[in-house]
Amino acid sequence: MNTFWFIRSARLRWLLAGIVIGGAAIVFVLPIGVAILWSLVDPAVGWFPPDVLPSSLSFANWRALLAVPELADDFTTSFTVAVLVTLLCALLGLPTGFALGRRPLRLRRVLELLVLTPLMMPSVVLATGLGSVFIRLGLGQTIPGVVLAQTVVVLPYMIRIVAATLGGVPQDVIDAARNLGAAPLALTRYILVPMVVPGLFAGALLAFIGSLEEFILTFVVGMPTIQTLPMLLWSYLGGRSSFLTYAAVVSLTLLVPTLTMLFVVERVLKQEYLAAGFGKA
Amino acid sequence: MTASTQIVFRRARRTRSGLGEVWADILLLAPGCGFLLLAMVVPVVQLGLASLGLFGLGRPSQFTLDNYAQVFGDSLLRGGFFFSLRIALATMVVSVVVATLLTALLQIDFPGRRLVSVLYKIPLVVPSLVAAFLVLTMIGPGGMAARLLAPLHVTWPSFVHDQSGIGIVIVLLWHNIPVTVLIVSAVAAAIPRDLVDAARNLGASPWRVFRHIIGPLCAPGISAAALLVFIDSFGTYAIPSLIGPAYPRAISVVMTTEFLQHANWGLASALGVVLIVTTAVVLVLYYRLMARLREQAPA
Repeated sequence: MNTFWFIRSARLRWLLAGIVIGGAAIVFVLPIGVAILWSLVDPAVGWFPPDVLPSSLSFANWRALLAVPELADDFTTSFTVAVLVTLLCALLGLPTGFALGRRPLRLRRVLELLVLTPLMMPSVVLATGLGSVFIRLGLGQTIPGVVLAQTVVVLPYMIRIVAATLGGVPQDVIDAARNLGAAPLALTRYILVPMVVPGLFAGALLAFIGSLEEFILTFVVGMPTIQTLPMLLWSYLGGRSSFLTYAAVVSLTLLVPTLTMLFVVERVLKQEYLAAGFGKA
Repeated sequence: MTASTQIVFRRARRTRSGLGEVWADILLLAPGCGFLLLAMVVPVVQLGLASLGLFGLGRPSQFTLDNYAQVFGDSLLRGGFFFSLRIALATMVVSVVVATLLTALLQIDFPGRRLVSVLYKIPLVVPSLVAAFLVLTMIGPGGMAARLLAPLHVTWPSFVHDQSGIGIVIVLLWHNIPVTVLIVSAVAAAIPRDLVDAARNLGASPWRVFRHIIGPLCAPGISAAALLVFIDSFGTYAIPSLIGPAYPRAISVVMTTEFLQHANWGLASALGVVLIVTTAVVLVLYYRLMARLREQAPA
């Protein structure tokens, strides 16, 4: 990370650190803590205003949700779909990302624009269009339908990250290795793989997370036969009447894997790749 | 790869190869670009036809403009459109301003900066429904903010199901400000250090460096992020459907209700076409503006 300016006074620096870290903790970490509390609220006692902390805690909500098959089923569906979407994205995205990242292409601008279109289309429009096409094709309410629909919105991130990663390998290094007599196998083993693996790994994880958190397309294409965790959360928050405690349990079931993945990616990932994925133009 | 090396490359390839290389390109691009092309064109054509009453689901195929007449005539639908537009514009403006300031703040060297740079990425992996739930438990009725302020006899305003849509904007901001910070700081990180050092050595204040070097160099990234935030907020469904008011309802909510509950794919498609056209207009305006800025910029 770049540093563009410094503050000389140590006291001012610590003051700034305190304000920024405190603010970040309140905005990003505290809500997750509150969600954990909500999931542990004792249903017999409840947690009513103005109590800032619940008066008694229990695992009753977790037990209640684990007792019915719904949570486990939706968890399985979500993760199966996410694995399939990631595999399909890798299959489709690797060759295309390679071509966009490393080959001289005549229509580069047009192709890059095409890759960006799914991100520039309001997702509800995409859901309506794909939903009606999929119903026609018999893909509505099926796992393949949901996988294909999610791939449309996740694939652009994958292609952009692959292109940025492969495009980032300096040609000089490859040429130098060749000049020094590296065989293609050695070149791949010692030069290309180490330089490319972190980016590809990040692309796969982002595709996985993107699939896990996708809602509207899955909702329109899969409902009511295929239900994923976000759809279960939706029904606890708004659809059926609001069950904050159950919603908290479902939220945490989704948050624990995605946050773990974020911290894994964050360690191996250069910011540029992440930004490329998120649509830096 | 810079533009000039790319040209050298291209010439070398072209003289050496020819048709074989073109086929290799097509084969490599076919899976990804082919899939996306199919997944974009077919639904859009389907939407266009269905909005005109042609080949719709579950209705006899007959050309009609009724759907469009309803879109522009019905005050409920018009209200929804402008509600969505207002939310998207508000989210975009606030996101860009706050994210730019935060990015500038993150360029200052202070203890714990690394920790903050990880923490702010949390919303990037939080599903939008979970984000709505988290924000709800904080600022909703009976949320943390209301509980903490109660002893001080301060009444917390209700941001949920309110006409102004402030609650929706807050959830969207929680999600979109980090995305914008990520994009803008990636652009800022690409600015050559020498440039900033040179300006500082020549006596420019940090503010002048920001105003004349970092700001202009970040502008393309900031505007691209603004565009993405606008489109994302304009088409969002889950958040307004959960915490939006009963009236006006966001255009995405109206659309989804039309085809899920009333099986009225025709009207939903017409709304979809209006949304696509609006987005396209915004995109064209954006590219015009960018082109003009480039012309004005000193070479």
